[in-house]
Amino acid sequence: MIRLWCTQVLAIIRLEMKKTFFARRGLWVYLLAFAPLVLFVSHSIAIRHHRDQLARIARDHPISSAALRDIQVGMTCDEVTQKLGQPYSQRRWHRRDEHNEQIEQSHCRYTDGKTELYLFFDKGKLTEMHRSELDTLHQSLQIFAGVFQSYYLRLAVFFGCVGVFVNLFRGEMLDKSLHLYLLTPTRREVLLAGKYAAGLLATVVIFTSSTALQWLALLGQFNPTAVANFLASTGWDQFSSYLAVTALACVGYGSVFLAVGLLFRNPIIPIAVVLLWEGVNPFLPAALRKISMIYYLQSLCPMSAAPGQDVPPLVRLLISPVQPATRSVAVLSIVILTGVVLVAAARLSRRMEINYSDDTQTICS
Amino acid sequence: MNENRIILDDVSRFYGEVLGVNKVTLSIPPGITSLVGPNGSGKTTLMNLITGLVRPSRGRISVLGVAPSQPQRLFRFVGYSTQFDAFPKGLTGSQFIYAFLRLSGRPASECRELTTRAIAQVGLIEAAERKVAAYSKGMRQRIRLAQAIAHDPRVLILDEPLNGLDPLVRAETIALFKRYAAEGRHIVVSSHVLHEVDMISDQVVLMSGGYIVAEGQIRGVRSEIQDQRPMQFLIRCRQPHLLASKAFEQDHVVEARLLPEGEVGLPAAELCGWGPGVLIKTRDADAFCRILNRLALGGIDIEGVVPADDNVHSVYEYLIGGEEANQ
Ligand SMILES: Nc1ncnc2c1ncn2[C@@H]1O[C@H](COP(=O)(O)OP(=O)(O)OP(=O)(O)O)[C@@H](O)[C@H]1O
Ligand SMILES: [Mg+2]
Repeated sequence: MIRLWCTQVLAIIRLEMKKTFFARRGLWVYLLAFAPLVLFVSHSIAIRHHRDQLARIARDHPISSAALRDIQVGMTCDEVTQKLGQPYSQRRWHRRDEHNEQIEQSHCRYTDGKTELYLFFDKGKLTEMHRSELDTLHQSLQIFAGVFQSYYLRLAVFFGCVGVFVNLFRGEMLDKSLHLYLLTPTRREVLLAGKYAAGLLATVVIFTSSTALQWLALLGQFNPTAVANFLASTGWDQFSSYLAVTALACVGYGSVFLAVGLLFRNPIIPIAVVLLWEGVNPFLPAALRKISMIYYLQSLCPMSAAPGQDVPPLVRLLISPVQPATRSVAVLSIVILTGVVLVAAARLSRRMEINYSDDTQTICS
Repeated sequence: MNENRIILDDVSRFYGEVLGVNKVTLSIPPGITSLVGPNGSGKTTLMNLITGLVRPSRGRISVLGVAPSQPQRLFRFVGYSTQFDAFPKGLTGSQFIYAFLRLSGRPASECRELTTRAIAQVGLIEAAERKVAAYSKGMRQRIRLAQAIAHDPRVLILDEPLNGLDPLVRAETIALFKRYAAEGRHIVVSSHVLHEVDMISDQVVLMSGGYIVAEGQIRGVRSEIQDQRPMQFLIRCRQPHLLASKAFEQDHVVEARLLPEGEVGLPAAELCGWGPGVLIKTRDADAFCRILNRLALGGIDIEGVVPADDNVHSVYEYLIGGEEANQ
């Protein structure tokens, strides 16, 4: 029996493959999945370019890092020039103060190839100073974590699963070809399992490969030995966690949207409800917070995103869970939630009827 | 007995307010059974009920002892060629048959053999490797038939299978049905033209408005129509809507159809040039006449009543359509 079911599931996957991977309707799933890749690749290229630029400047105007660190607000222009020499970029201008006297202001930049210093002089005195470090590996990983949790999980994988799973049944109802499946000696539950497996295959392949490529683009800009060291310490662990979280997101959201597509001919409202529910998750009481996918997915993310001060508290709430669940609890919860949704969908699928007229709202009455 | 019949026991199906089929009780033996009736009479609904594509609102169905709610058992021996003309995108004729055959769990080699055989049986060998999307209407009809027979079913349900076929292919297809019937299988065929199927059918089921109006061997059905004359009345009145709804409350009234002024193609020639009216179909003419008197006394202004079934031909023409309805 099990063997028959497996054969049937495989046959369904084969039939669905074209639709889940190559449907013209599904093009935007790829756009969603690979948009952050474009972001990280261009970020990587920009950073690399900037670093090369600074290195070239440092070669032409050599400055010791120690001297750079010694600069302090209140120094005069001459003192700074004495310590660091001529800046590689400078701008001067004049301004009149309230007594109509001319005062000189200037702005100059120094670098040792790693750190950039922006200095602002007013009447020959250093009044403001900014230090900007080149992106470190740690910073880059935090950017990745932020994008992953705020955009990738919440929007890309979410809507990607909408695009693939909602249409598994609903799309065929609209195409008027669902009856072809219902006329085969296949249990409705097996049909559901086959369709779910097909959707899962597509989304997991698309989204985990995008995750992997993003990670690659991100690390690509750094010195290979530093990257190797990082990977050897915690890197591989983080990497595999991200892949696993991506796959689990497909597992969880996939089941939800499969059920939505089975229940509703017009899925906009239920999708909006799920989106809202997942969105307000951090503001819910602890008990309700646990009835969601995003809570567990974020708990599983290896680094809580963007704990930096420059992130507004509201956004910070959205991208890192309060009181995260432990790893095993999170995985188990996602599996259980998915199981519950799939069992409900399977029961529903027994009531599935062919009704190709446009005015009906449900697929299973 | 049950094990070799398709049995519908007091089956009704409503689509919300709309009647699909009502109170259908049937027992279909092996051989060719034709469901005949005009558009919207419930033929497709009945076939969808038998194959579990829709569930009955009331009543029970069993196909050779198997309930339609068990597709895993039912479609081991049932094949259904539907009215729906949609196919998965991008598949060739043989890929289409093969892909869905694989769902039965048969090994690949066997599926390939069955596919080739089915395609040969419907004469589509040359077109087998072309995309279904590029098929003509008749070819799509044939590839659907091929899919229905591919797994060699004992029960074959075919919704208007002769639609769109050229005379040669039509003859071949009919020969195929006869061969299947001779092997003791069940063939259920639908059509809205009686004389398209009456020569080949062992049994005819006439449907109208969701009801079975006559059933039996073709000769029996003919005389049944004659016996029950008149079954239809055309009534001219000032409040046709009210009359139609009152009449429809009666159990024996099968159909109440509003007729716009001067409708063409009415069965009775006398009615040409009539004003607005109602066509009532009833299974109990006497009872209906009594009701009509009551309604007239109750204030509905009835201007004229004409029995519309002056002869058997008028029934045929109305129920099944005239020559022009063929095709
Ligand atoms: N999905 C549906 N939703 C609402 N009403 C429906 C639906 N399917 C069928 N009906 C109604 O049920 C009745 C019977 O329709 P059905 O399709 O069974 O007729 P049919 O005999 O097959 O007609 P045709 O010869 O045109 O194919 C019609 O009144 C039709 O409007
Ligand atoms: Mg029909």
